[in-house]
Amino acid sequence: MPEVVVIGGGIAGIQASLDLADMGVKVYLVERKPSIGGVMAQLDKTFPTNDCSI
Amino acid sequence: MLDAGRHPNIEILAYSEVESVKGRAGAFTAKVRRKARFINEELCNACGDCMAKCPRKVPDDFDMHLRDRRAVYLYFAQGIPAVATIDKDHCTYFEKGKCRLCERVCQKEAVDFEQKDKILNLSVDAIVVATGLDVFDPTPMTQYGYGRIKNVITGLEYERLINATGPTGGHLYRPSDGTLAKKVAYIQCVGSRDLNYCKHCSSVCCMYAIKDAMLAREHDVEANSHIFHTDFRNVGKWFQEYEQKGKDLYGINYVRGRVGEVQEDKDGNPVVWYEDTQKREVKSLTFDLVVLSVAAMPAKGSEELAKILGIELDDSGFVRVRAGEPADTSRPGIFSCGFCNGPVDIPESVSQASAAAMRVAETILPQVKVASG
Amino acid sequence: MSPEPEKEMKGKRDKPEKGSPVDRAGGESRRQEVDAAPAGEIRIGAFICNCGTNIAGFLDAKDVSDYARMLPNVVFSRENLFSCSEAGVTDIKNAIKEHKLNRVVVAACTPRTHEPLFRAACEEAGLNKFLFEFVNIREHCSWVHKGERDIATQKAKDLVRMGVARATRLEPKEEITTDVKRTALVIGGGISGLTCALSLARRGFMVTLVEREKELGGLLRYVNVLYPSGVSAGTFVASRIKEVKKSSRIEVLTSSTVQNVKGYIGDYVVSVSSKDRKSRDVNCGVIVVATGANQLVPEGHFGYDGKKVVSQLQLEGMLRQGKLKSKRIVMILCAGARIRERVYCSKICCMTSIKNATLIKKTVPGASVHLLYRDLQCYGVANEEAYLGAKAMGVRFVNYSLENPPVVENGRVRVSSPLSGREMSIETDLVVLASPLVPREGAEVVSRMLKVPLDENKFFLEAHVKLRPMDFATDGIYVCGTAHWPASVSESISQALGAASHASIPLTRGYVKVEPIVSELVDEEACRGCGMCAAVCPYGAVEIVETDKGPKARMIEVACKGCGVCAASCYKRAIGISHYTDEQLDAQVRAYLKGDE
Repeated sequence: MPEVVVIGGGIAGIQASLDLADMGVKVYLVERKPSIGGVMAQLDKTFPTNDCSI
Repeated sequence: MLDAGRHPNIEILAYSEVESVKGRAGAFTAKVRRKARFINEELCNACGDCMAKCPRKVPDDFDMHLRDRRAVYLYFAQGIPAVATIDKDHCTYFEKGKCRLCERVCQKEAVDFEQKDKILNLSVDAIVVATGLDVFDPTPMTQYGYGRIKNVITGLEYERLINATGPTGGHLYRPSDGTLAKKVAYIQCVGSRDLNYCKHCSSVCCMYAIKDAMLAREHDVEANSHIFHTDFRNVGKWFQEYEQKGKDLYGINYVRGRVGEVQEDKDGNPVVWYEDTQKREVKSLTFDLVVLSVAAMPAKGSEELAKILGIELDDSGFVRVRAGEPADTSRPGIFSCGFCNGPVDIPESVSQASAAAMRVAETILPQVKVASG
Repeated sequence: MSPEPEKEMKGKRDKPEKGSPVDRAGGESRRQEVDAAPAGEIRIGAFICNCGTNIAGFLDAKDVSDYARMLPNVVFSRENLFSCSEAGVTDIKNAIKEHKLNRVVVAACTPRTHEPLFRAACEEAGLNKFLFEFVNIREHCSWVHKGERDIATQKAKDLVRMGVARATRLEPKEEITTDVKRTALVIGGGISGLTCALSLARRGFMVTLVEREKELGGLLRYVNVLYPSGVSAGTFVASRIKEVKKSSRIEVLTSSTVQNVKGYIGDYVVSVSSKDRKSRDVNCGVIVVATGANQLVPEGHFGYDGKKVVSQLQLEGMLRQGKLKSKRIVMILCAGARIRERVYCSKICCMTSIKNATLIKKTVPGASVHLLYRDLQCYGVANEEAYLGAKAMGVRFVNYSLENPPVVENGRVRVSSPLSGREMSIETDLVVLASPLVPREGAEVVSRMLKVPLDENKFFLEAHVKLRPMDFATDGIYVCGTAHWPASVSESISQALGAASHASIPLTRGYVKVEPIVSELVDEEACRGCGMCAAVCPYGAVEIVETDKGPKARMIEVACKGCGVCAASCYKRAIGISHYTDEQLDAQVRAYLKGDE
């Protein structure tokens, strides 16, 4: 199985990981903080729909 | 986030950093340090008993230091993986050699003070960089009074205040006296488009200021907001409509002009001095709270990481991508996406992330055998 | 709550609790017999999420949890701070095993975000995931009844009681699987379509690329150079076209349009008609929409005449062919954009203008360029740099307001600038209007054939504006580039690769799974094959077929989204929706009407 390291567990890193994982790639998602989520997890809502960001 | 946590093909290595990368496209070896949490990830169920007993308070960086967490903590409630971490730099046991209260109360016996950092040497075919952003610290811009005037905060601090899981339970209590802020000013381009700090435009601040002002009104019908902006950059899908809605439905006042200075009156209210460029006069307005829409810039440590990876950055510190191949870095086999490539909003981050994934797939996956016809 | 409606209904239908065969209104058709109370003991676990303070801040979650435990068939209930946290999910899994639960009800937020999570939790604990029921007490309750704690608590109880009633009647279901033909069709041969087709071909998939024009290349064929690289647009797009033509896996059909689309993810049949060929059917597993956009011809704006007052695209042509003769140039931005009739910002026109202004200053000695703008959209790093560069080279930037737009007269432009407070009269021999990108006229036809929506501006409407910018709600169809919204070349390329990524997931797997929440012909005998259902289905998921018993409706399960329009339109009531059966919904309504007992 091909393997990839993704550095950064924010929205971009998570999306890249999911796409690769769905294509059958083993992904190591490396995040320096204690859990993934990145800045987006810190936001309350997101524009322009005011959806919850978690 | 949860999907990533559950996907059988994704292994999350949180609290970890890449220390070195050797090899080439198709055959990299990445050395990853898994920092010791001093908690057994397999056993911990994030029940919170340890946090309840931990005597040591530490400013919570997830909540932008607006409240304290304990030395043993969950980064945030919905975090993945949901396990506690002991912050070695602030733990009483590590400082003074005794305490271990957390160990005593943990019924899962998950606390492990003997835990060591682990080094993983991962053999991988490709690397994706998605290190995101950090926000600009506006303290050096003394004219705005951040750090000196209590009721001047940053946009990300505001996000935590207005968040139901944040330190005030979602109420816009201002820092100086805990009263509900009703009159709020948002100052744009703080550190952005500024040759002394970040010369780039951070791209997302105009929209997030509108959003923040809308949220203030949703929480409180009496909230009244002013956004002081330069060029108002609302270019994405439905952004102009959003700007219009902010004005028409949420009563946000858009004021074109850079703010010269923020002062504080005797009641702790910030006073914003600005030039009304339409009327060409210098004016002042008094607010309950001022929110600085601070620049977003490459994440701290991204220069070191670029050196480790052997990839080029541009003058502003963002990853330099190849012309015509927006997901390709200067080094074959290493791809990048999201804010680390330059300021982008969420949909753009998502499309770049999928683009990076596709470039990885093009490069490393065996071609699917398809019978033609 | 009033018992009256209950009485009224009794006459028409037996109470499901009695376990009797369910009779339909009017009793005209013989229905499949349904055991209203399924065999075996029903053991429901109810989990009430606090969502931090999002729910528990506005209603008494503990009271709701205690109440849930008293409901029929509920053997276990508890609160969680965040049911969606890993701890919350683990809690559910443990409870399923410990308390032998065979139905799970979670009262929390919206199924849109978290239903997959809780279903997976059930599955991981060995319970069929369709035995899970989601009750929304956040969006539907706590968030809309803030400050009315008692009422909100009561409503949450009602909702939970209804959820429990439905859960009691849930049945295990299996997902529907279908094979995916490993070929793609890309509609549109501009930079997005070319990039997407190449990417899919590199992964080994066969691609058919359909382009309406005689030539590939789209709008970039008319552009001079790209910003910020300064690379010739023609050379750039030509190299991609060359690669596409070289690829043995890409079939290019120029002067061709899509005439008809049948089928569903994994198995589409698309008829393509060509000017110089016979029309033919293309069989493919996925479809990518890359139909692009056009520059608005700014008729009626600022005296546009195509000669002395031209569009930015016309200027590109002059620059490309070295035919620019003018030396005093005024560019007016937002010509036809950010106005009442067309509210949106076209994103790329500021940068196109700055690019051309800079190029003129560089290449035409003694030229003057004034750029009249409202807000300069130089987002990001390179764009802001280009703006500063243009200023340094002497391009004059003059701000104007919507209320007081510039006036183009013979040989001059009058403008009053709120930023400088000055009235200016600028002599000019060429006025260039930056007009927005507008959707292609063909977009509506493509939208109708593929049954994917457009937004109010007639750009394609994606599944989710933030998180799924390249997907449609309909699986198997993707969108990229300016068909979706104005975008720069680099943004279009990212989206094209991104769409390729998403399209390649089912192509790589070779199969797809869909939710078994689909319409079903529950009463074949009653069906007359009238075709009403097929006519109203927005997804082409119903067809009428000849059977031994005459014409009957047949559902294409994998194309069905479970919207229920067919069921609502069927006057014979022959169609139902699995997992949302009339019995299940009826039980929910009855539970509400019954009130607290």
